[in-house]
Amino acid sequence: MKFDVVVIGGGPAGYVAAIKSAQLGKSVACIEKNTDDNGKQKYGGTCLNVGCIPSKALLDSSQRYYDATKNLNGHGIEIQSVALDLVKMMDRKDKVVNKLTTGILGLFKANNVTPIEGTATLLSNKEILVKGKNGEQSKVLASNVILASGSQPIEIPIARWSTNITDSTGALEFSTVPKRLGVIGAGVIGLELGSVWSRLGSKVIILEALDEFLFMADRQIAKDVHKEFSKQGLDIRLGSKVISAKDDGKNVAVIYQTANGEESLEFDKLIVAVGRKPYTKDLLAEDAGVDLDEKGFITVNNHCETSQQGVYAVGDAVRGPMLAHKGSEEGIVVAERIAGKKAALNYDLIPSVIYTHPEVAWVGKNEAEASQSNGEIKIGVFPFAASGRALTSDESVGFVKIVADKKTDTILGVHAFGPSAAEIVQQGAIAMEFGASAEDLGLTVFSHPTVSEALHEAALAVNNEAIHIPNRKK
Amino acid sequence: MSTEIKSPTFPESVVDGTVANWLKREGEKVKQDEVIAEIETDKVVLEVVAPFDGSISKIYKQAGETVVSAELIADFSATTDSSKAVEEKTPVESIKSRANKNKSGPAAKRILSNKEIDAEEVAATGKGGRITKADVIAHLERTESQSVTPENLLVTEQDGRHVERVPMSRLRATIAKRLLEAKQGTAMLTTFNEVDMLPIKNMRAKFGAEFELKHGVKLGFMSFFVAAAVDALRAFPSVNASLDGNDIVYHSYQDIGVAVSSERGLVVPILRNAENLDLAEIEKSIIDYSQKARDGKLEIQDMQGGTFTISNGGVFGSLLSTPILNAPQTAILGMHKIQDRAVVVNGEITIRPMMYLALSYDHRLIDGKEAVGFLVNIKEALELPERLLLGL
Repeated sequence: MKFDVVVIGGGPAGYVAAIKSAQLGKSVACIEKNTDDNGKQKYGGTCLNVGCIPSKALLDSSQRYYDATKNLNGHGIEIQSVALDLVKMMDRKDKVVNKLTTGILGLFKANNVTPIEGTATLLSNKEILVKGKNGEQSKVLASNVILASGSQPIEIPIARWSTNITDSTGALEFSTVPKRLGVIGAGVIGLELGSVWSRLGSKVIILEALDEFLFMADRQIAKDVHKEFSKQGLDIRLGSKVISAKDDGKNVAVIYQTANGEESLEFDKLIVAVGRKPYTKDLLAEDAGVDLDEKGFITVNNHCETSQQGVYAVGDAVRGPMLAHKGSEEGIVVAERIAGKKAALNYDLIPSVIYTHPEVAWVGKNEAEASQSNGEIKIGVFPFAASGRALTSDESVGFVKIVADKKTDTILGVHAFGPSAAEIVQQGAIAMEFGASAEDLGLTVFSHPTVSEALHEAALAVNNEAIHIPNRKK
Repeated sequence: MSTEIKSPTFPESVVDGTVANWLKREGEKVKQDEVIAEIETDKVVLEVVAPFDGSISKIYKQAGETVVSAELIADFSATTDSSKAVEEKTPVESIKSRANKNKSGPAAKRILSNKEIDAEEVAATGKGGRITKADVIAHLERTESQSVTPENLLVTEQDGRHVERVPMSRLRATIAKRLLEAKQGTAMLTTFNEVDMLPIKNMRAKFGAEFELKHGVKLGFMSFFVAAAVDALRAFPSVNASLDGNDIVYHSYQDIGVAVSSERGLVVPILRNAENLDLAEIEKSIIDYSQKARDGKLEIQDMQGGTFTISNGGVFGSLLSTPILNAPQTAILGMHKIQDRAVVVNGEITIRPMMYLALSYDHRLIDGKEAVGFLVNIKEALELPERLLLGL
């Protein structure tokens, strides 16, 4: 079998690259080893199967449960008894996942992409060895190869996977709500999963080794987020380095180091969410000619070209943030470049989101980064407490913050913590992609009442022109 | 009654110009058709005249400022109630329609409108050619720093000695840009020959007076060179061609540029259809152009196009030089000073008025054999002018 383009890995980077290549007139195959219980191929990678999608399904369900138990009362809605049916909640999540993964096979069919089941190894001369589930082997030839093998959770030696010590995948499948839930790592995954189980009734303690909370976020945002999540019941302990975690089959005993010495805790379940690492197991034969860097990422240049001509790599397996949308866009760029088009990805404007409640999101530079790279900057902040729409929805926590260049007024970063923060930041990303200034957003008409108005007011506040909050004294 | 004074409408190839100077001050009385301002473009100086008797009421564009085609530069009011009704446009209207033309963001539009900047002047960096606010701010900074007029030139001192920094005039800047482009964008080289000018000198001595009497112009050397060039260009069409991308453009006509120096720099007016002109017509045209150049009245169309150029460094005393191509033309002929030299004719040393000829050509299109042959053709036509008469 020979194809113009063979994509190894069917996650959001790989399947998008495959579809795009096919749309550009190439003969394309996409190799994926993941199958369901019936042996049917499951495309979608981490994102659809054990990442973005199932976690969002549970985040949404758990928030509804939480609202029913805690928040609706304030709206004058009395509910006599609220019961949790976790099996049904998980079932709904699985249905959503199945619908989306099956959808990819449908898209492949519509775009004439050949799905191939098996574990792929890239040999020399762009030859690919595919091993099926039952040991059968075949070879596929390609003019161009796109490696999109993804990533996997990092396992740490002091807390090996066991019955009650689990990674993010396991944390999406607890059969009962753990009474005491420990999370190692207060990053995006730790906060999201901690939120899910906290809302469903777990007492959650998150242990974070760093002294700084959400080090990659804007400081002002991180401070507010920390405060709010603590209020919601997440016990976030910074500067707490886990030194041992022992699972006796019933309980997990955790010992961690703080500035005040060693402390210990006992949990029913422990989630290890300290990050993810590139997954390249069996991907490359020794003579494949594709280099890995010291951290195990496939070495690529700005255009996702590896050390081997005609071999590209995209998504979590290469440098940059491990985000589905980053991988997908890389897949598009590579497909276009293979088809002889000029394409590039603007790595400066990849939005980040934490899907907690409220959401945390940002794009571009935070205040510290901007003042370091651009020198003089301006800041505009608008709190949701002053937003009419946010108040009507009982969602008045957080704020929108815009960082702009002092001289040119060009927006350098948009940060939000609050209702629909991800969607608000996305508007900022669009504006920034067009080189917008704060004044540009200020001159744009926003619907009233919407939470997006906070973006408008923050933009006005950059130049001390906000209407619904007092402006800084000049 | 008042009206708007606008910069002249520039041809398509001219992007913008600079207000060279105002010949009349605000309030100064001016007669109709009197020149009130000069706009310098990269090709010519254009005159702005008074539309009727009156005076300038307000100058918007000071000397040194950049203007685009048909841009408002001043308001003008009549001294008396003139019967000529001039339609009055409100400035607001014209600004609005201009701002709506571009696809830029609202902040950029607002500043462009407030500062009355034409969007086309601003270098856009945004997606799809959009102008960002940062682009407008950069443009403002640039134009503000550029408005250095001769009155406020930058004088610095180094080791007690003065250094003056003056921005290049637009004409100079264009010359600089074009020359550099020709040097860098072509495979230019020069071939030389020499010509014995005695036969033409003899002819001028013999018929010069009669020629002037009949045609009203002196019989100069230039007409012979143009005629010889026409003859040689006919024999070597590629020398009369130009390069456009990967295409060679052959011309069925011979529009010959004759370099003429003026106060503002060297300009090259074109003798149109030189192949149809006789010697007297060539001489007349050259004299007309020289006069116009001296008066700064050459028009853009006088200098556009051209399929071949003749440059005469000889008038300044140059003995030998390598002229630079006038792109996209592919060749230029350099004339030099006529100097009496000892040469060997028919085995004997004799004194002859000699001139070196130089032909710079674009080797991408013209082979060495053609270039040399072309120059020999010119030399022979000049040394035996009868050949021109006989069409040999």
